[in-house]
Amino acid sequence: MSKVPLVVDGYLVQAEPGETLLDAARRVGVEVPTVCHHERTGTRGLCRLCVVEVEGWGRPVPACATEVQPDLVVRTETEALAALRRVVLELLALETDLEHDAGTRELLERYAAHPERWGAPLAARREREPVQDNPFFVRDYAKCYTCRRCIDACGEGIQGVWAYSTTGRGNGAVPGTPLDLPLPETPCVFCGNCVQVCPTGALAPLQEVMLAEGER
Amino acid sequence: MIPLRLQPDRVVPTVCPYCGVGCRVDLYVKDAKVYRVMAREGPPNHGALCVKGRFGLGFLHHPDRLRTPLIRRRKGAELEPVSWDEALDFAAGRLARIAAESGPDALYFVSSAKATNEENYLMQKLARAAVGTHNVDHCARLCHSSSTAALARSLGGAAMSNTLEEIGISDVILVTGSNTTETHPVVGAQIKKAARAGAFLIVADPRRIGLAEAAQLWLRLRPGTDAVLFGAMARYLVESGRFDRGFVERRTEGFEEWWKSVAAYTLAHAEEVTGVPAERIREAAERYGGARAAAIYWAMGITQHAHGTDNAQALVNLALVAGQLGKPGSGLNPLRGQNNVQGAGDMGALPNVYPGYQPTADRQVRKRWKALWHVPQPENPGRTMTEAFESIGEADGVRAVYLMGEDPITSEPYQDHVRAALEKLDLLIVQDILKNETYPYADVVLPAASFAEKHGTFTNTDRRVQRIRPVFEPPGEARPDWWITAQMGQRLARLLKRGWSEAWNYAGPEAVWEEVRLALPQMFGGIGYARLEREDLRWPCPHLRSPGVSVLFTDGFYTPSGKARLLPAPARPPAERPGGDYPLVLSTGRVLYHWHGGTLSRRSDLERAYPEMKVEIHPADAERYGVSDGEPVWVVSRRGRIQAIAWVTDRTPEGVVFAPFHFAEQPANRLTLDAYDPTSMIPEYKFAAVRLEPAGTAEAAGPG
Repeated sequence: MSKVPLVVDGYLVQAEPGETLLDAARRVGVEVPTVCHHERTGTRGLCRLCVVEVEGWGRPVPACATEVQPDLVVRTETEALAALRRVVLELLALETDLEHDAGTRELLERYAAHPERWGAPLAARREREPVQDNPFFVRDYAKCYTCRRCIDACGEGIQGVWAYSTTGRGNGAVPGTPLDLPLPETPCVFCGNCVQVCPTGALAPLQEVMLAEGER
Repeated sequence: MIPLRLQPDRVVPTVCPYCGVGCRVDLYVKDAKVYRVMAREGPPNHGALCVKGRFGLGFLHHPDRLRTPLIRRRKGAELEPVSWDEALDFAAGRLARIAAESGPDALYFVSSAKATNEENYLMQKLARAAVGTHNVDHCARLCHSSSTAALARSLGGAAMSNTLEEIGISDVILVTGSNTTETHPVVGAQIKKAARAGAFLIVADPRRIGLAEAAQLWLRLRPGTDAVLFGAMARYLVESGRFDRGFVERRTEGFEEWWKSVAAYTLAHAEEVTGVPAERIREAAERYGGARAAAIYWAMGITQHAHGTDNAQALVNLALVAGQLGKPGSGLNPLRGQNNVQGAGDMGALPNVYPGYQPTADRQVRKRWKALWHVPQPENPGRTMTEAFESIGEADGVRAVYLMGEDPITSEPYQDHVRAALEKLDLLIVQDILKNETYPYADVVLPAASFAEKHGTFTNTDRRVQRIRPVFEPPGEARPDWWITAQMGQRLARLLKRGWSEAWNYAGPEAVWEEVRLALPQMFGGIGYARLEREDLRWPCPHLRSPGVSVLFTDGFYTPSGKARLLPAPARPPAERPGGDYPLVLSTGRVLYHWHGGTLSRRSDLERAYPEMKVEIHPADAERYGVSDGEPVWVVSRRGRIQAIAWVTDRTPEGVVFAPFHFAEQPANRLTLDAYDPTSMIPEYKFAAVRLEPAGTAEAAGPG
């Protein structure tokens, strides 16, 4: 199949058909910030952090969920995009404990985000107690901003067992198990591929949590 | 960026020590403790792991790790701690004395599919060069020896013909005798994903395993009837003209004789024997034969029978008749069990072949190895491990056994018999990382370093050679197996006056690997440590610019004629049939959370997820014999009895009891019988006659 030529931040990219704008940007070393997207889990289009501008298109589009087309002119860093990303990051930080998520904290800094301008941190998630219902890993949803990677890793993306789903609504919506069952009572096989892809440390190996607590 | 609660002292890329998939991992280490395991991107595991690799490495830090060399100065005395020199001198002296008294064939060397390629090479070199016997084997005898036998005689190559990356290429996948989602979970997930993406998945298995639920077509055959099922599929393809005539004519021989051998295997006959409706067998055959690229994956359910070689042969025949071999995504793929069982075989830790599968019976081959090692090579054929244990106590039987990372008490069939045999040995050397069940019988205990404490290479199930690296120091005095074996080699070469003891001075594993490359240029010539740092390589890799061959047999087979041999694979009944006092069939196997004899997994967090043995019993059988779900039950065979918790479930078919063999205190292998496949000498782990007794009545029933 023939290549798809497009321009990303001034670079000419020869992308493969079916690739996303995010893939195209990475081909020329342009790093678009993401938090929910993950190659293996197939998660995409949720966090809206990877929005980019395409010349002639009315509004920004998520780079991770938009396919390349011939002759697009794409910009990944503009004032308007930075403002959008700042708000996205501020809202994530407002409702989530990012203590272990150095990656997102770095983005907050890069985009000069000030979560406090939206008021006090929201309690809906931050007050959730860690769940320790199995011998292998901890689920500390106070640290989760519902990127869905764990749900996708468990289901379609990697493992194909679908032990997770989202529970709760609005700001309280987090990944969990159907009916809040303990994981050993779900189809979970404890592969830990959810821990592997978790960007915030909400899911963490029990050994690591215990060792870290011992050091405190 | 990985969200860590604790900054590691270092992150070491290495390979998971559990199964043959050979997942690549990063170990996060703090204060000499592994606290997080992350999968690496790229093949074979593509960022995924299973529970064992990710959460089951606690055995590294377990108090049962062996730390000091121990010797028992005479039978009946206690094991006492000694220096390495004293332990090695003691062991080598006793081995040499027995060899002098009873000949080199009175010694037996058990190599390890958990040890590195380099260590396996040295162990068989110890037997063949330093001692002068072909008495060396490893645990593949108990797992895929049937596959190896069938593949080697038919195709001339005993390994997966394709790669795990090709799972996504096959449009039909046939899995049989493999509970893949529990025993090779990462591959199981890949197969399930391929099925979701449109591949047609056929599963032939008596049990309702995870893959059976994901399959488009599940053939629930009766245990032990595999050869009839696959014979009938092949016969139907030929009879209906759906076979690959061109492939059969150009690339195979022996068709006529094979065709006569399957004359009786009509679909109707197969239905009667296997219990699978003829329509389903026909559909499986048509799907498999008609596929653009169809792959077969199999494991112990095929091989661990007294006719295991015939079962594996039936699969080989099916692939040959359908022409499903030698193309991308189309081939024969035995899923290997241990992390380095492929490598242990490649390195010649087998009684009948030198490294590179060169037959010991061939005089030219022996001459070549004599030239390499500068010592005359033995002509007597070696004993298989199962034969060796049988021979203990006989006049010309084995008198001394050197075990490297093997626990025969839990892994061999008919456990009481094995215990009695070990007690009769004049010398038992146990070289291991942990105290196992065989440890109490040892006269010499040599503490070994684990995979996380040494350099070397493992070869995974799809022939990928991968580097392992030390993460921390071994505990106490423990040393890597390669060092121990080389030290033993120096001493034995000197004591038995076989070759130069200097030939055993290896600077490290890389020096051993260089010797392997020199000896086997066609297989490994292009695979060096430096290249492995940068590249993914698999054998055959003959030169430095070769990436290694992915698809075997594209042009020819590795047989003398270059053609594959169709061989009759007659169905034979199991050695012991259910009936009378023992009306049920016992099949043994593994569960997701445990590993083989349990030495590793039961000394890790995995034990907390699956702490006690459960046997699967069909609801109808449970009712018939008064067994309740979750209650203790005795499983009794002609050889012994064990108590376990009953799991009443239709996962297992009516008339079949499934028991995992991981639990030393309730050893399933107390029940199994020592019936062996005549070709591969594999024991029949998958079929024994048993009965059930509710545990309440145990006392009244007396010993089994």
